Amino acid sequence: MRIGDFRASYAHDEALLATPVQRSWMIGFVLLVLVFPWIGGSYLTYLACLTGIHLIAAMGLNIVTGYAGQISLGHAAFMGVGCYTVAALARMEIPFYLALPVGGLISALVGIVVGIPSLRIKGLYLAVATLAAQFILIFVFREWDSVTGGVRGVNVPPAQLGTWIFNTEGEIYYVIMACAFILLLGARNLFRTYIGRSFIAIRDKDISAEVLGIDLFRGKLLAFALGSFYAGVAGGLMGYFYRAITPEHFTLTLSVFYLAAIIVGGLGTVLGAILGAAFMVLVPEALRGVVSLVTVWAPNAMALLSPVREMVFGALIIGFLIFEPHGLVEMWRRVRRFFHLWPFKT
Amino acid sequence: MSTRRHALKSVAAATGLSALSLPLTTWSQAGDLVVAAAPPITGVFAFAGVGLNLGLNDYCEWRNEARGGVMGRRLRYISEDSAYKMDQAMSVFKKLMAAHRPPVFYGDSTAWAKAAAVEVSQIGTTMTSSPSFASDIADPEKVPYYFMAGPTYASMCYILLEYINGQAKGGVKPTVALVYSDTEFGRDPIEAAKGRAKQLGINVVQEIVTKPGSVDVSAEVARLRRARPDFVIFHGYVLAPIPEFIRQMREAGMTGTQFMGTIWSMDKSTAEAMGPAGEGWMGVMPYRYSHDVKDAPAVVTMNQFAQKRRPEIKYVSTFYTHGWLVGSIFAEIMERVLRANRPLTGPNMKAALESMTDWDSGGISGLPVNLRGHQIATGRIYRFDAGTKLFEPASGWIRTT
Amino acid sequence: MDWISFIEFSLIGLFSGGLLALVALGFVLVYKGTRAINFAMGEFMMLGAYLVYTGHTWMGLPLWLAVLLGLLGISLIALGVERLVLRPLAGQPVVSVLMVTIGLGALMHGAVDAIWGGRNLEMPQILPRKPLLWGDILIPGPIFWSFWVALAVIAALSLYFRFSRTGIAMRAAASDPITAYALGIDVRRTQQLTWVFAGCVGAVAGTIVASISSLSPALSATALGVLAVVILGGLDSVLGVIIAGLVVGWLESIAVGYFGGKARDLVPYLVVLAILMIRPYGLLGTRDIERL
Repeated sequence: MRIGDFRASYAHDEALLATPVQRSWMIGFVLLVLVFPWIGGSYLTYLACLTGIHLIAAMGLNIVTGYAGQISLGHAAFMGVGCYTVAALARMEIPFYLALPVGGLISALVGIVVGIPSLRIKGLYLAVATLAAQFILIFVFREWDSVTGGVRGVNVPPAQLGTWIFNTEGEIYYVIMACAFILLLGARNLFRTYIGRSFIAIRDKDISAEVLGIDLFRGKLLAFALGSFYAGVAGGLMGYFYRAITPEHFTLTLSVFYLAAIIVGGLGTVLGAILGAAFMVLVPEALRGVVSLVTVWAPNAMALLSPVREMVFGALIIGFLIFEPHGLVEMWRRVRRFFHLWPFKT
Repeated sequence: MSTRRHALKSVAAATGLSALSLPLTTWSQAGDLVVAAAPPITGVFAFAGVGLNLGLNDYCEWRNEARGGVMGRRLRYISEDSAYKMDQAMSVFKKLMAAHRPPVFYGDSTAWAKAAAVEVSQIGTTMTSSPSFASDIADPEKVPYYFMAGPTYASMCYILLEYINGQAKGGVKPTVALVYSDTEFGRDPIEAAKGRAKQLGINVVQEIVTKPGSVDVSAEVARLRRARPDFVIFHGYVLAPIPEFIRQMREAGMTGTQFMGTIWSMDKSTAEAMGPAGEGWMGVMPYRYSHDVKDAPAVVTMNQFAQKRRPEIKYVSTFYTHGWLVGSIFAEIMERVLRANRPLTGPNMKAALESMTDWDSGGISGLPVNLRGHQIATGRIYRFDAGTKLFEPASGWIRTT
Repeated sequence: MDWISFIEFSLIGLFSGGLLALVALGFVLVYKGTRAINFAMGEFMMLGAYLVYTGHTWMGLPLWLAVLLGLLGISLIALGVERLVLRPLAGQPVVSVLMVTIGLGALMHGAVDAIWGGRNLEMPQILPRKPLLWGDILIPGPIFWSFWVALAVIAALSLYFRFSRTGIAMRAAASDPITAYALGIDVRRTQQLTWVFAGCVGAVAGTIVASISSLSPALSATALGVLAVVILGGLDSVLGVIIAGLVVGWLESIAVGYFGGKARDLVPYLVVLAILMIRPYGLLGTRDIERL
C-alpha cells in the first residue's frame, strides 16, 4: 500500500523514480542486468541480447506510431539502413561508439525522406506509403552491391573498445544493454518535454494541434527521424551481434513483428516497448520448448514449428487487440494498482 | 472475476510454465557427440529440406545402432527449422552453438554458409557443411571449416557446358539460355558459367532471373521465346518454377529445346512434377540414385534403413542421400580425430577432413572421395526417362576441376 | 526491344491487369463497406485456392463442385472473421483494424502452411492452356482467359450493386450507416455480406493465380503488389480499379520485358509512392474530408 507519497515540488512531481520503493526496485533491476550473463548462461544471455536489440527498435516504433500516431510499416528497412551503415563504418575501423550514432543519423535522414508524404496523407494511406518505402528499400539493399553486398550481404567486424574485442554473447550484451539504457532514458525524458507532448497532441487530433500553433510538418518529420534513429542504432547492434547480415533480415515480417510488439506491449509507453519486446522474444522460445516436449508423442511436430509460430503470432495480435487493446502495460498497471491499494479493494 | 479475465490469467500462467521448459531442452548426456543442424524444413526449399533433415537424422540413428556411434560415443542429432530465411538460420545457429557447442553443424543455404564462414573461422570449434555448393566457400584457406559433399555449382555448369559443346552439329555451336533464381544459391555460378561458355564459343542468348519459389513466368517465357535457345540451364531452384517454365515453353512451340538442371533440381519428384514435359530432363548429379544399387553397399544400407524406419517413403530421394552422405563424412572426420586421441577442435577436424583423400563412400559417390579441396569433385550427367520414371546415366563419372 | 516485342508485352500486361483488377476489387469492397484495408486479402486468395485444390484433388469432386466448395468455405470463414474479429473492433482507431487484419493474415498463412505443408502443389487446370498466336505474338492461354473471367465477375458484381435490393442496401449502409439504420436496413447484415463477397472474389482470383503459376503458401504475397492498383484507382472506386488494373498490369509487363523479373518487385511500389505524393486519393477515389 502506498502511503505518505507527497509531491512537494514540481521537480519531485516530474521525477521518474519518485518514491524510495521505486528507486530500490530500479537499483535491484540494474544490478540484475549487470550480473545476468554470469548467472544466466550463454543461451539466456543470447536471448537477453536479442531482447535488448528488439527493445530499442520497438521503442523507436513506439515514438513514431505510439506517441506521434504515424503508422509506419517500414521500420525494419530503417534498421537495415542503420545496420549497413554501421557495417561499412566498422569495416573502416571506426569504433562502435562513433559508428552507432552515425548509423542512427543516416537512418534518421532516410526516415525523414520516407516521412515526407505524412504532410499530405495520414492513417491508412500513410501506412501504405511506408509499406511501399519498405519494399523499395529492400530492393535497394538487394541490388546496391557495392555498399550492401547485395543478396550476399556483409560481414560485420566485432565491436572493439581499444584492444578489447566484443566477441561472445556475454560481451556484446553489455554494449547492447548500455545503449538500451541510454536510449530508453532518452525516450522517457522526451515525453516530459515540449517536443514529446507535441507528438502526443499530433496523434490525438492533428488539426487541433495545428490550431494550437504546433508545426505539424516539423513535428511529424521529427517523429519519423527519432523513430528511425532508434531503429538505425538497433540495426547497428544487430550487425555487431549476428556478424553476418543479409537483406533477408529486414523484411516486412520484421516490421510487422515490431508493430505487434508495441501493440502487445502497449502503445505509447516506454514500459510497453520493454514488455512487448521481451514478450515477442520469449513466446517463440517457449513455443519451441512446448513443441520439443510434444515431440515425445508426435515425432514430426518439429516440422510444424514455423507455421505454428506464425499462427500463435497472428492469434496474439488479434487476441490482444480484441481483449486488451492497451497491452501488457495495462495488465501490469492493474497488478500495481492492486498492490498500491491493498488491503483495500478500490 | 469475469470469465475473460480468468481465461487471460490461465493463458498467462501456461505461458509462464512453458517458459520453464527452456532449461530442459538444453540438457544432454555427457559424452554424446552433438550433430546440430538448421535445415530448411519449411519455406521455399521445404521440398529439399525435409529430405536432408531425415537423411542426416537417420544416418546418426543408423550409426548408433549399427556401429555404436563414433568410437563408442553416440551421435545426437539436434535440428531446428530455418525456413530458408537467413535471419532464422543465423539465430538457430547462434542458439544451438550457445546451448550445445556442437563439433559439427549443418546449415541451410549458400547465403548462410557464406555469411557464417567468418564467424565459424573465428570460433574455431566446429566443422560445418550445408546444402550449398558455392564456389567461394570451397576454399580451404579462406573458409577452413567448411566442406561440401559434391562439386561446386560452377563445376556443375562446366560439365553441362562441355556436354552442350559436344552436341554441336555441323560446326554450329548450340545457343544457351540461363535461368536462375535471385538468391546467393542461384547467382553463385553464373559469372563462371558465362566465362566458360565464352571460352567454348557458346552464345548465351538470354539470361533470366526470377524469385526462387512459384511465380508468374509468362513474361519471362515470352523473352525466352524471342531468344530461341537450343539449351536452357536452370539453376537455383528445387522445383518451382521449373515445371511451369518447361510447360509454357513447350506450349509456346519450343519443342526442340533441351532443358538441363543442377543437383538440387535432379530429384525424381522434380522430374515427375513436370509431367510429360519432363521427358528428357537432364542434369548433373554427384551421387548414385537410390535405385542404382549395383556395387553400392552404402546405398543398399541406406535403402534398408529408410524402409525400416520410414515406411512411408517409397523412393529414397537425392536429398535424403545427400543428408546420409554428409552424416557419414561428419562421422568419419570425428572418428579420425578421436582415433588419433586428439580433441575435437576446428584445426584437428580440418586436418582429418583433408586426410580423406581416397575415402570409400560405399558407392554413394561414383569414384573414391577426395576431400583435400573441401569438395567432392566428381559427378555424372543423368537423363530422365519418363517411361521408367527414373534417372539413367548419360555419361561416365567425371572428375571436375 | 522491337515493336513486335513491345506489343506482345503490352498485350500480356493488359490481359494480366484483369486479374489484378479482380484482386483489387476485393480490397475496394472491404474498404467501401467497412472503411478498413484488408491486409489479409492475399491469405483469403491463398485459402480459397487451397480449398478448391482439396475439393478436387483430395476429395475427387468434379471441378465445378470443388469451386463451389471453395466459395462456400471462404464465405463461412469470412463470416466468422467479421463476427469474431472485426465486430469487436468496431469504432477502434485505424491502426487497430489494420493490425488485426495483418494478424489475421499471419494466422491464416500459418494454418495453411501447417495443414497443407509448404510444398508446391499442382492446381487442376481451370482455364484452357493453349496459347493464342496472333502472327508472331504469343499470348499464354491462362492469361487471356483470366482477363475475361475477371471482367465477368466484376461486371456481375457491378450489376448486382446497381440493381438488386441487397446491393443497393449495401451501398447505402456503406455511405451512411446511421441513415441506413433509420430506413430499416440491417447494417450488420450488409457488413457480413461485404466480407463474404470480398472473400469469394479473393477465392476466385486466388484459384486463377494458382492455376497460372502453382499452389503454395507463397501465393498470399501477390496481394501486396495489388495495393498499387488500389491506390491508383482510388480505395473506393470500382471503375477506378479496373482502369488502374490495366495501367499497372501494362507497366509491370513492360518493366519485366525491359529489365527482367526483378522489376516486378519494384514497379508496384514506385507507382504507389508516386500516386501518394501526387494524387493520394487516386484517379477516381473520393476525397476524405476531416472535420474537427
